[in-house]
Amino acid sequence: MNDILFGCIQCGRCTGGCPVSVRSALNIRKLIYRSLIKIKNKSKDLGIWECTTCSTCSIRCPKGVDVVDYIIDLRSDEIERGKVQPQVRDTLESVFKFGNPWGRIREKRADWLEGNGVRILQPGDKTRFLYFVGCTPCYDTRTQEIARAMVRVLKTASCDFAILGIQETCCGNEVKRMGEVGLFEMLVEENTKLFKKFDIGTFFTTSPHCFNTFKNEYIDLDFVIEHYTTLINRFIKEGRIEPRGKFEKRVVFHDPCFLGKQNDIYEEPRELLRSVPGIELFEFERSRERSLCCEGGGGRMWVETESDEERLAVTRVKDAAVLEVDVIATACPFCLLTLEDAVKTSNLEDSIKVMDIVEILDEALGLKDEEERVPEYQNTRSSDSKQSQ
Amino acid sequence: MNIAVCIKRVPETAEAAVNIDSSEKHIIPDQLVFDINEADNYALEEALLLREKTEGDITLFTVGSKESDEVIKMGLAKGATRGVRITPENLDNLDAYAVAKLLAEQVKEGNFDLILTGCISSDVGNSQVGVTLAELLGIPHATLVIKMGIEDGFATVQRELEGGLLEELKIKLPALFTIQTGINEPRYASILGIKRAAQKELRVIENITAEGMKAEVVKMYYPPVGKMAEILEGGVEEVSGKLCEILKGKGLL
Amino acid sequence: MTKDIFVIVEHRRGEVRDITFELLTKGYELSRDRGKLLAVLLGFQNEKIIDKLKPFAETILNIDDERLKEFNAEYYQIVLSNLLQEKKPFITLLGQTAFGIDFAPSLSTAIDLPYSSDCLDLEIENDTVFTERQIYGGKINSRISLAENWGYLVSVRPGSIAPRDVELVAEVVDVSSPIKEDIDYRKFMQYVEAAKGEVDITQSEVVIGIGRGIKEDKNLSMMEDFAKSIGGVLACSRPVVDAGWLTKDRQVGSSGKTVKPKLYIAVGISGAFQHVMGMKGADTIVAINKDPNAPIFTVANYGIVGDLLQVIPKLNEKITELKGA
Ligand SMILES: Cc1cc2nc3c(=O)[nH]c(=O)nc-3n(C[C@H](O)[C@H](O)[C@H](O)COP(=O)(O)OP(=O)(O)OC[C@H]3O[C@@H](n4cnc5c(N)ncnc54)[C@H](O)[C@@H]3O)c2cc1C
Ligand code: SF4
Ligand code: SF4
Repeated sequence: MNDILFGCIQCGRCTGGCPVSVRSALNIRKLIYRSLIKIKNKSKDLGIWECTTCSTCSIRCPKGVDVVDYIIDLRSDEIERGKVQPQVRDTLESVFKFGNPWGRIREKRADWLEGNGVRILQPGDKTRFLYFVGCTPCYDTRTQEIARAMVRVLKTASCDFAILGIQETCCGNEVKRMGEVGLFEMLVEENTKLFKKFDIGTFFTTSPHCFNTFKNEYIDLDFVIEHYTTLINRFIKEGRIEPRGKFEKRVVFHDPCFLGKQNDIYEEPRELLRSVPGIELFEFERSRERSLCCEGGGGRMWVETESDEERLAVTRVKDAAVLEVDVIATACPFCLLTLEDAVKTSNLEDSIKVMDIVEILDEALGLKDEEERVPEYQNTRSSDSKQSQ
Repeated sequence: MNIAVCIKRVPETAEAAVNIDSSEKHIIPDQLVFDINEADNYALEEALLLREKTEGDITLFTVGSKESDEVIKMGLAKGATRGVRITPENLDNLDAYAVAKLLAEQVKEGNFDLILTGCISSDVGNSQVGVTLAELLGIPHATLVIKMGIEDGFATVQRELEGGLLEELKIKLPALFTIQTGINEPRYASILGIKRAAQKELRVIENITAEGMKAEVVKMYYPPVGKMAEILEGGVEEVSGKLCEILKGKGLL
Repeated sequence: MTKDIFVIVEHRRGEVRDITFELLTKGYELSRDRGKLLAVLLGFQNEKIIDKLKPFAETILNIDDERLKEFNAEYYQIVLSNLLQEKKPFITLLGQTAFGIDFAPSLSTAIDLPYSSDCLDLEIENDTVFTERQIYGGKINSRISLAENWGYLVSVRPGSIAPRDVELVAEVVDVSSPIKEDIDYRKFMQYVEAAKGEVDITQSEVVIGIGRGIKEDKNLSMMEDFAKSIGGVLACSRPVVDAGWLTKDRQVGSSGKTVKPKLYIAVGISGAFQHVMGMKGADTIVAINKDPNAPIFTVANYGIVGDLLQVIPKLNEKITELKGA
């Protein structure tokens, strides 16, 4: 395992950039040092579960050491020994049993649709665009709104899109980062087998986490994989979606680590936001490559931090408050949840809202109100849903 | 010390709908996800923890279909030594006594110092198999064990009684304990571990017929919709308002 | 031949437990036109208990032995297997409690009595015994028939029969104890009280019970806020204790505490009977659960089908408003 660490010159740039080192026991350079001189690591004091796998460290390392992979290896050791936090255990068991980390049954995976007509792919079907919703927007009631907004927005682009419905299964991005290699491999195998049943043009995701793993870690997929921000941004440029209406708010964009730092997508979300009439776009002081992690990645949605120090999401929200923005925009369900939680703990609920970019677009287009107002719309939807049966 | 642990594969029904098949004697398993019975998982962990302190083997026993190998393998992945699956021809109409009898025939061969089971299974919930097995083996038992210590051939156990009260007993080994949930924190079985467990010994006992059933399911049916809560209708805002009004009306706010 | 009904008396620390009166009520009903209702009492210096039982049975079989002072499954089995084989009662009733669970299966095995456990009810049709049980967490019921035999053993779930006064005057019959030697392989040592915490949930008029549905301990503070604004205390189901989110003294249910508040709000609790037993005595029960089929809705007076993460903050807001006004 120490092979990964070969080349480390103990310069400390990794720890210097690590967002959680300031608030936890995790000191990545020290961890590497101990490993190099073969001191047995005991995770609890070393905080390996604090890492959000944001990969700032790997990016900053002058010697190209893959620091994140090293942490994941350490986690794997603990997973193999089986003695992990109950929350980690339950999350992984849930993925194994139900295909999602939230402990919810598969039958309810498409309940977020709330009767909306969206084509659900059947084996042998062909689709121009496949929308991979992801576990969190499928089950978590807050982020289900993102998925519903996505559907409304896509319908205005009158594109041929479909979803997998209850066939959809966890992508495994977080599973891998929690160190459960075997489960990850199993998911890759099963998902690949599932996707092969369809003819898919472009595959896009709500979450940068799903996007990341499908794009970079699944080797055998023969379709285009995108994050929705690049796809919708293109639709706007092509004029397929015309951002009518207005969203007259001060907005700051929070870069999700798995979109920016890990996949170099910085411009598209900003372009997309700028194309919405009325938005005044701000930047955090720490943005793009230097963006502060929200602590939602690397399995941290299910691992409680040991630290009493201020959560990074709270720091982020406070920074937003200084900018006096009305909305923190992001493009990741985890960021949305952690930041929204931080808004609540910081008592800023009355002044700051956290929204996904697609929700902003949806609101600007007035689609949600339209759906509630115009009953005719329902008719077109029900004919759609017949198709999907 | 050699330990036997009896485990069972059961469906998870906390959120799922459970449907009865046309025979009206079984449920339809198709849509359901199965796992090791919760209390059995704690029993297994207790065995693993004990074995960390003393030498010895852990043997897993289950009465069930071929699919039960899943939970055996999971137990093997966690560190059990071997597994035994008993699959009688008439698996579908066993009662608790017959299950215990099948287990007893295999377990008695093993010279175990300690036999652990869960205190209840989450599917049919008889809470009978463990104690019946102890009787068939002719060894003492204690149920609902929430704390356990072993010393000099005796176990000191605490049983969970009603109202938060515990009862401490001293029991001579070999003995059988049915384990209550919460006694420990069960570990995780990794997928690689489960795959590797395929190399461990898993003995299958087939071509036998269980006998001596004394209880028979005549019929399964959906619980009558008796008294039902008044479900408040509306969005979150509306139902919250309604509930407040009701509580206020009753002088509860 | 008369067909008598035996009820095994459950008592602890000198108190007869409620289940005994429930069983005697059922036993009385079953024994009419068949035979007699007998309470079987194993204990030591049983006078006080006998006084309590007298109005509920026709006969009390009193077995008095110092070794029966505290419950011990091994002594119970010696006494009961002798007694049942000698007197051959038609049905022997006991409770599905920490007491019944511990001795009924081995007793039934030792003397070959068909046994149905954890029953909600039982019926006799042409001498065949049928029991009704709940399975799969209360989502399915099942009807069981017991194989033909001279007698049967049935354990009944506590709280499933409403006890009634039957106004009998029992005759007390002393039965000598068949226990010969002391048993060294199972010994009662002592009772241990569960650790005491800072609040006593049984004393509060408003109790908020939280269950596995709260999912993560970080949602606890939301629940604490809610409990505070409604003027209640937080209690919980067992998984919440198992997860270490709340201490044992907050657990409601058969292995926790029994609460009888004016208002009980079950949040993210499915309504397993072990939990329900501890709270069904509340005057008003409200359930918040996202599964419309959760059994808790069958015990609640009012229900909200929805996600607690959404409902609780909203409810909190409204209550704070109302209380402020
Ligand atoms: C001998 C013995 C003694 C026991 N003693 C007790 C006892 O004293 N007390 C006790 O409580 N249990 C006891 N149990 C355990 C009992 O059988 C159940 O396992 C337990 O009560 C279940 O707890 P729960 O309802 O919290 O969890 P679950 O049954 O898992 O139910 C969780 C519920 O939450 C709902 N839910 C999930 N997410 C949400 C959401 N976001 N919003 C709204 N709802 C949601 C689900 O729909 C589900 O209904 C005992 C068991 C045994 C064998
Ligand atoms: S930045 Fe790279 S070279 Fe520097 S200490 Fe970290 S791992 Fe080693
Ligand atoms: S991945 Fe991010 S959180 Fe983890 S060690 Fe590297 S910089 Fe720190």
